[in-house]
Amino acid sequence: MRFLFQILVIIILGSIMEFFLPWWSVAIAAFAGGLIVNARMNFVAGFLAIGLLWFVKASISDLSTDSDLTQRVALIFMLQSKVLLFLVTILLAGLVGGFASMSGGALRKNQ
Amino acid sequence: MKLAKFFTSLAITVLLVYLLNHGWTIGSVSIPPLGKFLDPFHGFWQNLEPAGHQGKKQLAIPGLKEPVTVIYDSLLIPHIFASNNDDLYLAQGYVTAQHRLWQMEFQTHAAAGRVSEIVAGDAVLNYDRRQRRLGMVYGAQNAQQSMGTHPAIIQYTKGVNLFIESLDYSSLPFEYKLLNYEPEPWTNLKCALLLKNMAQTLNMGDKDIQMTNALKLYGKQMVDLLYPDNEQPGDPIVEKPNGWNFSPVSVDTVPLALPEELMQVKKSPGSDPYTGSNNWAVSGSKTYTGHPMLAGDPHLDLSLPSIWYAVQLHAPDINTMGASLPGVPSVIIGFNDSIAWSVTNAQRDLVDWYKVTFRDKSRNQYLLDGEWVDTRKVIEHINGRDGAVFYDTVVYTHWGPVTYDHNFQAENELNGYAFRWIAHDPSEEITAFHRLNRAKNHAEFMEALNYFSSPAQNFVFASISGDIAMRVQGKFPVRRKDEGKFVLDGSKRSQGWQAYIPNAHNINDKNPARGFVSSANQYPADSTYPYYITATEYEAYRNRRINHVLRESENITFRDMMNLQTDNYNLKAAESLPMFLSYLDTTKLSHGELQAYRVLRSWDYFNNAASAGATYYEAWWDNLVPLLWDEMENDSVLLDRPTTYNTIKLLREKPDLSFFDIVATEEKESAGDVLRKAFSLGVEDIERWKQSHTTLPVWAEYKDSYIRHLLPPLTPLAIPVKTGGNHDIVNAHSRTKGPSWRMVVSLEPSGIKTWAAYPGGQSGNPGSAHHHDLLARWAKGSYYPLLFLKAPDENIQKIFYTTHLNPNAE
Repeated sequence: MRFLFQILVIIILGSIMEFFLPWWSVAIAAFAGGLIVNARMNFVAGFLAIGLLWFVKASISDLSTDSDLTQRVALIFMLQSKVLLFLVTILLAGLVGGFASMSGGALRKNQ
Repeated sequence: MKLAKFFTSLAITVLLVYLLNHGWTIGSVSIPPLGKFLDPFHGFWQNLEPAGHQGKKQLAIPGLKEPVTVIYDSLLIPHIFASNNDDLYLAQGYVTAQHRLWQMEFQTHAAAGRVSEIVAGDAVLNYDRRQRRLGMVYGAQNAQQSMGTHPAIIQYTKGVNLFIESLDYSSLPFEYKLLNYEPEPWTNLKCALLLKNMAQTLNMGDKDIQMTNALKLYGKQMVDLLYPDNEQPGDPIVEKPNGWNFSPVSVDTVPLALPEELMQVKKSPGSDPYTGSNNWAVSGSKTYTGHPMLAGDPHLDLSLPSIWYAVQLHAPDINTMGASLPGVPSVIIGFNDSIAWSVTNAQRDLVDWYKVTFRDKSRNQYLLDGEWVDTRKVIEHINGRDGAVFYDTVVYTHWGPVTYDHNFQAENELNGYAFRWIAHDPSEEITAFHRLNRAKNHAEFMEALNYFSSPAQNFVFASISGDIAMRVQGKFPVRRKDEGKFVLDGSKRSQGWQAYIPNAHNINDKNPARGFVSSANQYPADSTYPYYITATEYEAYRNRRINHVLRESENITFRDMMNLQTDNYNLKAAESLPMFLSYLDTTKLSHGELQAYRVLRSWDYFNNAASAGATYYEAWWDNLVPLLWDEMENDSVLLDRPTTYNTIKLLREKPDLSFFDIVATEEKESAGDVLRKAFSLGVEDIERWKQSHTTLPVWAEYKDSYIRHLLPPLTPLAIPVKTGGNHDIVNAHSRTKGPSWRMVVSLEPSGIKTWAAYPGGQSGNPGSAHHHDLLARWAKGSYYPLLFLKAPDENIQKIFYTTHLNPNAE
């Protein structure tokens, strides 16, 4: 429960902060999520939360457009399909979210 | 221990964010800041426009005097309604930038030799150095001094800058995100640079260095045979024997010494000879409506974002519509309430190279009329993507910048080649278009064109009052015979341009008896025209096909006009293929060759998309030319092949010409041997093609055209397109070049009707549905009827959305 709650907190914080701040604000959101909630698996929670947030937001953009730019961007990055571009997006978001959340959790455990 | 974990994970987080927030250049590969770029809240995903996306309905635009209404139709063409001209051009700048900002800025960077700031690489640096050494900015500055204060330019610049100021990372055009840089403020100079960019595309053709080499290697007689001044098949653009009633400006006839040297210069290519165009107008006597019709299709290197941006401009003294050049105020090709016009390139030698002799290696002085005269040195700073600066010293002389010297593509330390180009001179094209957009009749059209210097164009004209006309307009030097064909002696002022042809003496025609005017880059005037004319090349096929069809046609409808614009008849093949085939011995052909022979025998000479004959002919031709002129493929000496027309003529009339021998073989070949060899090679090419393709080798598949992205390395952004046509055909779509805008106008007094299509779309954003939505119809050879509004509230059903631009409430 606490784990799911942490994911939820990070997603909500992240989506709010992304409206006001650049992309790295997701790190702050995940850090805060780790610090406030501090479930047992902070890295996984942060990874899943930010990965999911970016996946959902990117999917909405991709599904609502008539253009095939996502596929073309994948090719520019020498990826065979846009599925891989989604995976790279999720992976990068997940890593940043995971380590930030882990840092927040670790700080909490120090206190 | 736990503290260590905290610091370790924090350090990793910070490092990750740092790495993903920075772009990296590895070799010539640039990686954008991946975190920024892939962030779906701000990164490239934000450039994916939702289906049916509409822009804002209200915009606050400080600097407007009155509100402006912009109506976007279903093709996303803006119809701008302003209550004064200042507001009109400010809005045009804003609206154009909104769809085309990256393109506009990139093209000015390319013109000014600043691509190194965006893309790394030696080839890019070389390109930039060349642009600087050709004096592109020097020319733009001269033009800006004469027209930079035009209110249309000032207001347009304001509009572009207002749009740039409204951007944040999230709303930045896609290419800026991908290439990781940001737009800089727009300037009046950039408008001038874009006009110079067009002049470079169209009016920088020359083969002086190649011809000088040919003269040395082959002698004057052979040069005249290979490169005749006027091979002129068909009609010139204007034919008025005894009708040139003016006395020409004469210049002193200093004998021009023919140069005798081999030029050790690796010259970069100038304007592409395949960028031609068609235009024509027919008078009411030949049309179904009884009123004039006009057609125009400029052929350019096709790219995305599209070269042209369609727009309607409406203010109290103006209502015009057509193709605009993103970055330049006004409509360039189009129509208004009363007239229509279009352009083709005027083929004319407007480039000269002067050999300059320096006093010593310092290049501080050069010889001019027996004296050592000071040069002017300009140090060009070329900023690299990585922050490094490359310094290049460009020497300016009486003639212009020294493009080629021992620092750049030439060997000799004491000589340089100075570049004299008509587009270096001050000019007022903006005034020309400002007036042309408002012209009501032929007299005002002529008056407007008096302000137009460069790039020289053949302007076709038609009016609802019933006139049709043609005018070859540009600033042309008065030339002595053979002047400009070879490299000139830069140590004598007398070798320079002494005078210019007065506007009143420029070639023009109004309501000729034949009932139509036309141009397709052919020779401009009959032999009685009293000025000497030369150019790198004159068109030989499209012009004859167009005139033939127009001469035969009566009761011409707008559909006939479209059919001619998209006509695939290959006159070159019709004139050459029977002769080619006569050299084949069917008893000696392989199975595949025999099949090809049969296909060619039954071919109707149309390069239609589904034609197999066209494929076999073009493959034959493409193998033939390099074999015929193999002597000219020389790494150390730059030479130019004779024209297509002259090549075929020589094959027919001089089959034993020494050039037809293939140097690499021991035998002595003549025309027939080379034709047979090229035929076999062509068939081999097609057999090889068949092995890697599942479709039949029909022409559209074999030609395999595509519209590239403006930045060529971005190949995934190129769009393939299957069409017929080719260069030398009225439908001039070759693999990468072709009709960049097709327009047919019917000038009916009850209201002008226009149909148009172009290979792209209004939006420059590759994430927009309007990025290349007009391409499919263009490829099929069909058109969109253009919505031409009289007031901002008509035709509600075709309107996509409306934006109100409001001056800021103070």
